[in-house]
Amino acid sequence: MPATSAIDPLTELMPRIAAGDRAALRQLYQATSSKLFGVCLRILSNRDESEDVLQEVYITIWRRADRFEAGRASVMTWISTIARNRAIDRLRARGPLAYAEPVDELEIEDGAPRAEALLEAAQSSEALGKCLSELDERTEKVIRTAFFDGVTYEALAARMETPLGTVKSWIRRGLAKLKGCLES
Amino acid sequence: MSEPLTPDLPEDEALAAEHALGVLTAAERAAAELRMARDPAFAAHVDAWRERLAPMLAALPSVSAPVGLWPRIERALPANDNAGASVKLWRGLAMGGISVAAASLVAVIVLAVRPPQVVTPPQPDFAQLLNARLDTSGGQHLFVAAYDPVRKKLIVTSLVTPGADPAHVHELWLIPADGKARSLGLIEPGTSKTLPVPAGLSALAKEGASIAVSVEPPGGSKADGPSGPVAAIGKLARI
Repeated sequence: MPATSAIDPLTELMPRIAAGDRAALRQLYQATSSKLFGVCLRILSNRDESEDVLQEVYITIWRRADRFEAGRASVMTWISTIARNRAIDRLRARGPLAYAEPVDELEIEDGAPRAEALLEAAQSSEALGKCLSELDERTEKVIRTAFFDGVTYEALAARMETPLGTVKSWIRRGLAKLKGCLES
Repeated sequence: MSEPLTPDLPEDEALAAEHALGVLTAAERAAAELRMARDPAFAAHVDAWRERLAPMLAALPSVSAPVGLWPRIERALPANDNAGASVKLWRGLAMGGISVAAASLVAVIVLAVRPPQVVTPPQPDFAQLLNARLDTSGGQHLFVAAYDPVRKKLIVTSLVTPGADPAHVHELWLIPADGKARSLGLIEPGTSKTLPVPAGLSALAKEGASIAVSVEPPGGSKADGPSGPVAAIGKLARI
């Protein structure tokens, strides 16, 4: 057993959920729903849609708990990833208009944590926030936009009126630097 | 600029990072999810990048979920597990607050079960249909299936982009309560197909049975069950 599973109380809920224990799912819901609702709201900016997505997320967890592997990821990362993916699917289902914002609106002032806010959060957030803030401002902004808005390379390139290859190389270089920084 | 040069990420890891970040198109994402199922090294890269980026989500403010949401979730659970006891109750409620996801699934099924020239309303069969959304361990839908117990046919739609993985085929499996996988045939990426379910198997295609897709060498599995990784799985349930 990896050491992390011993310190994460959510990990022991997963096999119970996989075995059909509703009380365990409820415990997980109580411990994590406000976090995941925050994730859905941040991505969708719409309460009704976020509620629908959140419901879908916990039903997905209920059905897929047996696929959770404690050694591969933390519970929080696993369920946050499901929430983010589902919210982004919903965002993309709104259609091309969802990507029609002009480049000026690429700013993420509205509720996205800036590097400063990240610094106040947990330790891992602190490290990531610090490393993101070490990127040049444009790269940091593009990475955050991609992450929170589920924006593809194509859509980013269109929004920024920049060739796709350029955007791709900004992001790839940014991710390489991010990794180097997180490992240092 | 005199900043130290950072080496580029190796191509596989760069792709994994892009998948975790979310900049790939729907087709590329589906290909990446399939690759995760059969390439553990690539899957490990994606997982590592999800861990690296997840703190951005952890730093978001928490917002209390609405009070009525947990009961809604609880009511939807029976249709999603093997018990199936209160399915009728759930169905009644679901008709009132049917989610957009379920509605879009219905739309897919309507498209799949109804060739353009057919004018008969599909309503009577609809009540009988058992549906399954097959998703990956990352929760992405890759296939939708509907079983018609009257005609004993399974209608499957692949949401995988054609050409994403030409070296492999996708084989469908029925996994009933006994846990033993029975092959139902192959499904081409990006297509819809109606598969007759043999008499011996149709009795097993019940609510709660799983439909799975494995990634196999051309021609399908030579073994008595999937020989390649199961890329997506879902349970048959009434909408």
